This record gives sequence, structure tokens and C-alpha cells, in this order.
Amino acid sequence: MTGSTTSAVLESAGMPASGAAPAIEIRGARKVYTVFPNTKRVAVDDVSITVPQGAIHGLLGPNGAGKTTTLKMLLGLVRPDAGVFTILGADSRSRIGRSELGFLPEQPYFPPQLSAAQALRLYARLSGVPHKDIAARIDELLTLVGLEGQNRTLLSAFSRGMLQRLGIAQAIVARPRVVVLDEPASGLDPIGQRDVRNLMLKLRDEGATVLLSSHQLSEAEVVCDRVSIISRGRVAAEGSIHELLSVAGRTSIRVRELPAGLPVAVADLADDVALSTGGVLVFSVPDDAVRRAVDAIDDAGGKVVSVEPKRESLEDYFTRMLARTEEEAKR
Amino acid sequence: MIRRVSAIAGAVFLDAIKRRIVYAVGFFAVVLAFSAPSLPSYGVGVDQGVYREVALALTFAAAFVLALALAANRIPSEVERRTVYNVVARPVGRWEYVVGTWVGITAVMAAVIAAFTLVDQGVGLVRYGEAMWQLWEGALAIWCEIGVLTAFAVAISAISSAVVVAVGTLTFAFIGHSRQPILSSFPGLPAWLYPSLDTFNVINPVAHGSGYEWPYALIMLGVLVAWAAALLILGSLGFGRRDL
Repeated sequence: MTGSTTSAVLESAGMPASGAAPAIEIRGARKVYTVFPNTKRVAVDDVSITVPQGAIHGLLGPNGAGKTTTLKMLLGLVRPDAGVFTILGADSRSRIGRSELGFLPEQPYFPPQLSAAQALRLYARLSGVPHKDIAARIDELLTLVGLEGQNRTLLSAFSRGMLQRLGIAQAIVARPRVVVLDEPASGLDPIGQRDVRNLMLKLRDEGATVLLSSHQLSEAEVVCDRVSIISRGRVAAEGSIHELLSVAGRTSIRVRELPAGLPVAVADLADDVALSTGGVLVFSVPDDAVRRAVDAIDDAGGKVVSVEPKRESLEDYFTRMLARTEEEAKR
Repeated sequence: MIRRVSAIAGAVFLDAIKRRIVYAVGFFAVVLAFSAPSLPSYGVGVDQGVYREVALALTFAAAFVLALALAANRIPSEVERRTVYNVVARPVGRWEYVVGTWVGITAVMAAVIAAFTLVDQGVGLVRYGEAMWQLWEGALAIWCEIGVLTAFAVAISAISSAVVVAVGTLTFAFIGHSRQPILSSFPGLPAWLYPSLDTFNVINPVAHGSGYEWPYALIMLGVLVAWAAALLILGSLGFGRRDL
């Protein structure tokens, strides 16, 4: 069989012809809802996102920005008006495309009269987990998400946080290579939120790809390799956290043991001065003034804790980005 | 395919069989079955026939109410609560979800109708000293008809709300049993097009005769399969085009 013939056969089966396909590819996604017979509302307009294999990609944006609609189109839950959606190179709406996919919906809910084990058994069977492996996988997953011993508990007796944990378990029941998580930390206590973060990192370490839709910017900042910020149905910004948050030309310096405050030579250069915990002063200086600032601090008896490129917080960046897109929309 | 449909059907069965409505309807059906022999006496040999007729009518009524309660809101509530996402975002066809839902509810109805018939048979045995095995023939006919009505309800519920499903299914059941009067009122209406459920009406031979021959059971099952297939195909097409 020639290479082109092989490719044609694979493509006709909905499978990627190349082994280097991105984990998730969304190209030119568009969805228009008809709100009233003649009123159209563009929910998503020309959204394109590419997630390489083995990455954690954040999808950020305010309520109503189009994040969930984009995810729903990817998952085949909503019919797109335009766009190409692939998972590991296969059409995400085909059975093959979804065979490597796990999905946690926002605020997941389950048939209330099933027990936790019965629900997981259902999802394992639907995902094609071999019958002989299901019981062991259920025990393993319930332990992993902190629900050990709850196999026989009816889901009607589960709290919001327990349902969220079960939702995470069902998403990864078949060890998918691509996991889409919509607000995974919603309803969880701080320990649960930490567990979810660690789980996402573990999944990435095991080679899985995670697409994370979240309002929790701190969570996205900690775990995401790259993020796409969606606003008013469009991608307003995309890049690695480092790229997006770096402030060009400025360096952040943290110092301590300066009870009298910053030396005058440094104070003239410094910007954004703030007193942090433990008496640590944080400020930024132009890149070309770092040497002078450090020498001046040494001379004043202070101790330099860290010198690193200045980064904006994701929250500040996010707020600024949304304000900009709002202004553009008004114009 | 069978694995996925049976997995969905199994979950629907387990979820539905534990619902309070099943036991509430069951309780009242049993109370009515026990009170049926207190009907006025019509004479030797007639009482048993009247009892069987009343028992079958009660079983049908209770099963219809229960099937509507289980089927009308199943898919709409799963869409509203988004439990459906956990199923259809997997490598599962939407038609498999619709068919699995129907199979699950129809299996619950089989269990419920069997339980009602056991009670009817027990009451008949105690009151009249007769085993009344032909009640099981009636139970099969009731289950087949409930299967069709459930398929109608599931198909409509795949694209509509619970209220529309309930009203639509009641209308369908009424029209399905009014073939003769409606066709005589509208002579231009082609008879072959009319959705008749009269095939399942076996009350007379079961209650007052000696039952029906077994080939008729095959005919009823065939009609059930044909109706269910047609309705579920329509429901699946509608559900497949729906934004969730």
C-alpha cells in the first residue's frame, strides 16, 4: 500500500493520517443562535485553538464569552455553523474522535438513583473499558478522587463536592488521551481544588492532554502551559503564561532587611513598590538598571531575595484584556 | 452497539425501578385489584370474566400512567440537568441513547406489568378458586401496547418538553383506539395510514373467552417492533439534530 493510499484509508475512517496531529484542533469555529425568529446572536465567531499533545491548555473568559459553546461544538453537543474540530487528528464528532476523549461538564449531575459504582460502571461500559477491568478501575478511581468506600452510596445522597469528584472520575474512567474539564474545581473545598490541580499535572505527566475551561485564574496560572482568552465570542489573546504575563523591559526585585526603606538611588528607579509578608519589599526597575539597583541595595545592607523578569498577575492581564475588547466593541 | 445500548438501558432500568412513583402506582394498583371482587355479582361464571376484564383494565391504566411518568420527562430532565453530556460526549451515537432509554423503560414496564398480573392472578385464585392463566396473555398485549406508547413518548421527548409528551401520548393512545369511528367520520382518510393500536385489544378473548392462539402473540410482537422502530427512528433523527 502506498503512503497516499494509507492516508486515504485512515482519513476515510476518520483517523489521523499523521502521527504528529495536535491533541485538539479547532479552526474557524462559529455558532449563531436564533434568539427570536429574526434575531441572531453570534455566540462564537471564528475561534481557532490548537493544543499540542501532552499540554495543559486553559480556556479563559468571562461568563457568556463563548467558552462553553466552543467546548460543546468540539464535543459534538452543539452543531456548529462553521469550523473544523479534531481530536488527535480525527473529526471530534465521529465515534473515533471521541473514543480518546474524557469530558467533565460544568456542575456535573448524574442519575440520582444509581450508586457511585453503578454510574462509573455505566460510563466505563460506554467508553469501551474491557468488562474484566471495570471493577478494579472503579475502586482505583474512587480512591484517586477521594471517594473511597462510597461505591454503594446512592448519588442522591452525594454532596455537590462529591458529585464534582465523581464527575472527574467518570471523565478519566477510560484513561483518555485528551481530557476536557469545564470548571473542574467548582464546588470543591481548598483541599479538593489542590487535588484537582495535582490530578491535572499527573495526567499531563502521564502524557494526556488537558483542555481546562476555568474562571479560577489562579488555578489556570499554576497549571496551564498556554491559555486562550475568549471574549465576546472571539479569541482575544493566546500564548504561554510566560509570554502573556511578562512585562517587557522591566525586572522584578525582592529584597529584605531594609528597615529604612529603599535607598534613594533605587527609589528613583523603582516602580510598583509593595511591602510583602516577612518584611520583603517588592519593586520593579528597568532591565538596564538592575546592576545599579542591586549594588545600591548591597551598599545599604539589604539582602536580595530574587531577581526575575517582571510578570503581571493573570488577573490583572485578564482584566486589562477584557477592558480592551469591550472598548473595541464599543467603537 | 449492543453493549452501549444495553449499558444505557441497564442504567435507565436501575434508576427508574427505584423511583417512588413506581411503588406509589403499584400500591394503588394492588388496592384496586383487591377491591375488584367486591363488584356486584353478575352470576356464576360471569363474575370471573368481569373480574378479569376489570383486572386487565386496571393493569393497563396503571401501566400507562407509570410509563408516561417515566418516559415523558426522562430525556428532557437529562438534557436539563446535563446528565446526558456524560453519555453523548462519549463514543455513543445519539440514536443509541434514545433506543437505550426506550429499552430501559420498557424493561421496567415488563417487571411492573408482571407484578400486577401476579397480584391479579393471586386475588383471582383466592376469590374464585381459579388460576386464571389467561391473564398472562392479556399482560403480554398490555406490555406490547405500553411499549408502543413508550416509544411514542420517548420519541417526542427527544425533541420536546414533558408536558407536550404527556398530551401527545394521551392523544396518540386515544386516536389509536378510535380507528372505526374516526375512519367512518372521514371516509377519505386512507385506512392503511391510520395509526391503529387495536391489535393489542384482546380483552374480550382473554376476559370472556379462552384466550388467543400463540401466533397472535407473534403478530402483536411484530407490530410492537415495527411501531417502536418507526417511532424511535424519528425520535433519533430529531435528537441527533438537537443542540444540547
